[in-house]
Amino acid sequence: MPDTTNPEPEERTRMSTNHPTSGHRARAWLVLLLAGAFEIGYALCVGGSQGFTVLSWSLAAVVFFLLTLFALSVALRTIDVGIGYAVWAGIGAVGAALLGPVFFAETLTPVKALWLTVIIAGVVWLKLSDAPEQRRTR
Amino acid sequence: MHWLYLGIAIVFEIAVAIAAGKARGFTRPAWTAATLVSGGIATYLLSLALLTFDVGVGYAIWTSVAGVGIAVLGALLFGQRLDWRKLLGIAAVIVGVVGLQLSGVA
Repeated sequence: MPDTTNPEPEERTRMSTNHPTSGHRARAWLVLLLAGAFEIGYALCVGGSQGFTVLSWSLAAVVFFLLTLFALSVALRTIDVGIGYAVWAGIGAVGAALLGPVFFAETLTPVKALWLTVIIAGVVWLKLSDAPEQRRTR
Repeated sequence: MHWLYLGIAIVFEIAVAIAAGKARGFTRPAWTAATLVSGGIATYLLSLALLTFDVGVGYAIWTSVAGVGIAVLGALLFGQRLDWRKLLGIAAVIVGVVGLQLSGVA
């Protein structure tokens, strides 16, 4: 928001609370994407911790856990909860499925990929069903 | 045993969602603490489940079934509606988990 403007008090309230500016929205989406990336890190580190017996992976898991929770909560101040959760959960699950085989002795076979796609599509759809347009049509 | 660990991890992940919602952006200390403690327990049990599951498989089942649980509990306890859209998503998650199990990769 340019600081040279001097809006009427009423206008100022409108801009700062009810209608986030486009820059504010863009930042919130960036934080949401970051939260998704942290969630991928969380999933991989929890797996790599071997039941929290490997110190380095365990510490990284705790850090990613706090980062993903914090970033998601910041993003959800601006972005609708249903849409925010859908994007965050989708990024985390797809990322963990694709990167698991990169870091660990795992393979993503076509059969696994098929059923994972069904599950992830299901949960993203479920979260999107909580989006405001759906709530309004009820 | 890995399914049992995952099941308990899912229950605590549902608790995380409820507590985080009540923590209102982590401004309420008691609910914030409940979020972190539930999250810690869920994470530890997930890590035990992932000793057997592939990371991608175990994580997807964990987060998705927790999502189903949150939607169902929301309907049972908080009067939210389970419309056809939500039921479709829930059905897809169940079909996917059963598919993974039956094809022997989970």
